[in-house]
Amino acid sequence: MTTSKQAPQDLAASLLAAALLLPGVQALADEPPQEGSISLRYLDYADRQSGLDRIRAHSPSISVTAPVASDWSIEGTLTADDVSGASPRYHTAISGASHMQDERKAGDVAVTRYFRRGTLTAGAAYSTEHDYVSRALSLSGTVSSEDNNTTWAFGLAGSRDRIDPVNHVVVDEHKRTLSVLAGVTRVLTPNDIGQLTLTRTNGDGYFNDPYKLFDNRPRSRRQNTVLLRWNHYIDSTGGTSRLSYRYYSDSFRIRAHTLSGEYVQPLGGGWSIVPELRLYTQSAAYFYYDPVYDGTLGPPFPPGFASADPNRLSSPDQRLSGFGAVTAGLKVVREIGKLWTVDVKVEGYEQRGNWRLFHDGSPGLAPLHARIFQVGLTRRW
Amino acid sequence: MKALVLIAPALLALAGCATVQPWEKGKLAKPEMTFGGDKLETRYTDHITTSREAASGGAGVGGGGCGCN
Amino acid sequence: MSARTTRVLRMAVVLAAALEASGASALDKGAAAPAFDLPGKDGAVQLAKYQGKLVYVDFWASWCGPCRQSFPWMNEMQAKYGARGLQVVGVNLDAKTDDARRFLAETPARFAIAFDPAGATPRAYGVKGMPSSVLIGPDGKVLYEHAGFKEADRAELEQVIKKALGGAQ
Repeated sequence: MTTSKQAPQDLAASLLAAALLLPGVQALADEPPQEGSISLRYLDYADRQSGLDRIRAHSPSISVTAPVASDWSIEGTLTADDVSGASPRYHTAISGASHMQDERKAGDVAVTRYFRRGTLTAGAAYSTEHDYVSRALSLSGTVSSEDNNTTWAFGLAGSRDRIDPVNHVVVDEHKRTLSVLAGVTRVLTPNDIGQLTLTRTNGDGYFNDPYKLFDNRPRSRRQNTVLLRWNHYIDSTGGTSRLSYRYYSDSFRIRAHTLSGEYVQPLGGGWSIVPELRLYTQSAAYFYYDPVYDGTLGPPFPPGFASADPNRLSSPDQRLSGFGAVTAGLKVVREIGKLWTVDVKVEGYEQRGNWRLFHDGSPGLAPLHARIFQVGLTRRW
Repeated sequence: MKALVLIAPALLALAGCATVQPWEKGKLAKPEMTFGGDKLETRYTDHITTSREAASGGAGVGGGGCGCN
Repeated sequence: MSARTTRVLRMAVVLAAALEASGASALDKGAAAPAFDLPGKDGAVQLAKYQGKLVYVDFWASWCGPCRQSFPWMNEMQAKYGARGLQVVGVNLDAKTDDARRFLAETPARFAIAFDPAGATPRAYGVKGMPSSVLIGPDGKVLYEHAGFKEADRAELEQVIKKALGGAQ
């Protein structure tokens, strides 16, 4: 039974972000956390396309944070993804989409040392599924000004992945990435804090999706992001608005804008609600081809296939097409006493070619819908 | 684009016109005023968006790479 | 980067640095501790009233995590050295005094508490972090300043108090 999955996605930059984007400037000096906490969380994800169910994922995870001695803290996470469903072999084709089922287990740990004016964090992550293994390391730090109103962040991370697809399209392939991050967080007013972060990731190796037909991508990928965030406390309501904008560009010539906002409104009695909205738009990769097929050979062959260079780059992966996407969600949080927090979050996601902003999106692809459900429990000590 | 990258740090530096004193940071100490938010929640969101979209990174959480569907 | 951009950036940096310049600076050892007269938990609290005592002034707020850790220790210090002439004064800096009272209901203070929501006292003392403490000798002069509160600080701070009391008799 063949399995069909989307391209091995490099989340090394995310690991970097995990270790690096510490909770910004804390109101106090760089202090270790006052209390430890343990969190359990569960995700239920399901998407649909053209009226048919596609991918379903269930994912429990656990995270523990603990202060150690006076000046240290340690944090660890374990997560398991149980993913199953049907994924197109090209574009949004239903027929020929094959069923897949996989379990991914991942863990990571980070150790932080707190200094008078800064912090230093070292992290390691490991992720395994039956056709993909990823290992990553990171080192990051922050330095704060004397008045604690400005904090500089910097970081470095690397990952090494090994890919062994079950259909043996390739055997024992590799991918390596190196990421750097620089950022600044600034207390603007007693009610406002802002953050600017720049990252750069260089990747080399195998980027193809081995389960998609005619998927042949460059063997290197350079990615840049600029992220601006702003949190604002509103005195009249006691609520907080959290806004962010990210600009992304890479050597596949994909440019993306992400604008997201959420509003935290405490309701009294330990309850809070958090509505959120996210708008996303991206351009297509330069080697992505539309669902327009060769006149003689028909789908899934790209036009001019017979006479084309067999090594030419191409991909029918919807994820590399031009589109816009909207996420809307609501989270309800309840704090119970001083030690417990429970929350439930529901989100809807939709992705459409003609929702691309500023330019035309890629034609001919059916919209993708997803519904996301999360529940979380945290206990502090 | 290049203009934004160059000007934004200057803007951020300028924006704090009056230095905020340590005792005025009560509201900034609230968890919802920090960046990052719930670690596991942010991870799930990043995992989903990087599995369905081309862009990745900038902010968030995560392990290493994955063959994500 | 164009010449114009460079110039704009340089101006921005200079302007930012100028705006950054903080107001008060921490007091020097031996300087006279600024007087204060504030409303308190049990009546007015005046620094002048404690002339002749060793005063440990602690600037705290309900939202400050380490402050919660420091209260039991300050209670202990007041109990242990009060008879020898130590007076702990906790100056609360919450913008809303109600938040302070809620904190005190959960974490009681067995020492003098004063409320300064306007923040004039920390400004006069050049407070740089939360919490901050200042040790004032019986002559009203600043002996020692400390910012933050960690487990490791307890022993050091107690030593400083003992030394000051040992000398002041």
